[in-house]
Amino acid sequence: MTNLEVSSNKPAAPSNWLFAFFPILGALGFVDATYLAVKHFLGTPIPCSILKGCDQVTNSPYSLIYGVPVALLGALYYLTILILAAIYIDSRKPSVLKFLACLTPFGFLASLWFVYLQIFIIKAICIYCMASATSSTILFILGMYYLKKQKIYPQITLEKIPD
Amino acid sequence: MYSTEQNLSKKERHELRRQEKLAARASGEQKKKTARVMLWSFIVIFVAGTIALMAGLASKTPSVQYLGGTVKAADNNDWIKGIPLKDAKVILIEYSDFQCPACAAYYSMVKQIGKEFKNVSVVYRHFPLSQHANARPAAQAAEAAGKQGKFWEMHDMLFENQTIWSGLTSADETFNTYARTLGLDVEKFKTDFNSAEIKTKIEADYQSGADQIDGTPTFFLNDKKLQNPKNYDEFRSIIQQAGGAI
Repeated sequence: MTNLEVSSNKPAAPSNWLFAFFPILGALGFVDATYLAVKHFLGTPIPCSILKGCDQVTNSPYSLIYGVPVALLGALYYLTILILAAIYIDSRKPSVLKFLACLTPFGFLASLWFVYLQIFIIKAICIYCMASATSSTILFILGMYYLKKQKIYPQITLEKIPD
Repeated sequence: MYSTEQNLSKKERHELRRQEKLAARASGEQKKKTARVMLWSFIVIFVAGTIALMAGLASKTPSVQYLGGTVKAADNNDWIKGIPLKDAKVILIEYSDFQCPACAAYYSMVKQIGKEFKNVSVVYRHFPLSQHANARPAAQAAEAAGKQGKFWEMHDMLFENQTIWSGLTSADETFNTYARTLGLDVEKFKTDFNSAEIKTKIEADYQSGADQIDGTPTFFLNDKKLQNPKNYDEFRSIIQQAGGAI
């Protein structure tokens, strides 16, 4: 595996370390949303040490979409991100990362909507929900950055020169 | 690069290179396979671990919060629901006001606790707040019904109809109607309602909690002042932690 070289003759591709945040944020978001989802199903109150209002937010009618708790959808979203990132690490196929990047706007838009609901409609802030909004926003920024890089350097991954 | 192989025949060199390449590929494949197994094991462990940990965290019952105050122990002069005091493992004393909206909200929870637990006694003590004009008459009505053995029936009726009578200038007539509905001797009810004995009893209840209570309802669990639980599940788990059995 020593004979590796960038196959494209464009300038060297940007380093990939930034995209390590895809699995990291996916994992963090998953932990956070799972906590909220489990709380939802057990019905236990959520202790908020920093900001008050977790109960108000998570018990509001907006916390359900057609009877499905938003937290559960969030957990599934982050799990998808995490698994796609893992598939990419495994296979190194740029198309996987591209697909992941294309999912991030959905998470971001959903977060925007829920932050709006918290501030203007429910008028209470749930710190765990804000944490989730933050991670989905960073995922979105990273995703867009990746897509932009993809355009400039279509072959971002290293390819083996045929023997 | 191949200078050391000069003395080998072309065929031999070719064979050697092929062998090396195969070995390198095999070891590379092996490493890749290990990395892949590790990656996916890590993901699976992480996801399962997160769900298990969060379920554990989330189901952790809220701990009982005492506010550091005590109250006179319950005795047989109190109104007791659930099981008799002598058999109770947990005694929940409530200081309440029939006209207070929060008390009406807690009423159904307390009632449920009395029903659900088999070793809990629920005690009701009067704490009519001065800003509630009909609270003291309501307490008198409950006591007067109690004289005929229907304290809890009147207690329930008062809380369930709180919004009807709490705004009235005088609710006495409404209370008489309730007495009739409950099948009480209304004349006796009226006499007891105004009796000094009942008024003294209510005042005694009030005084027994006066230095401990800032608002209604206030609960004491085994004589210790409780932080009001936020919902029924919390109330239930607090009582379970104190030894309440369902």
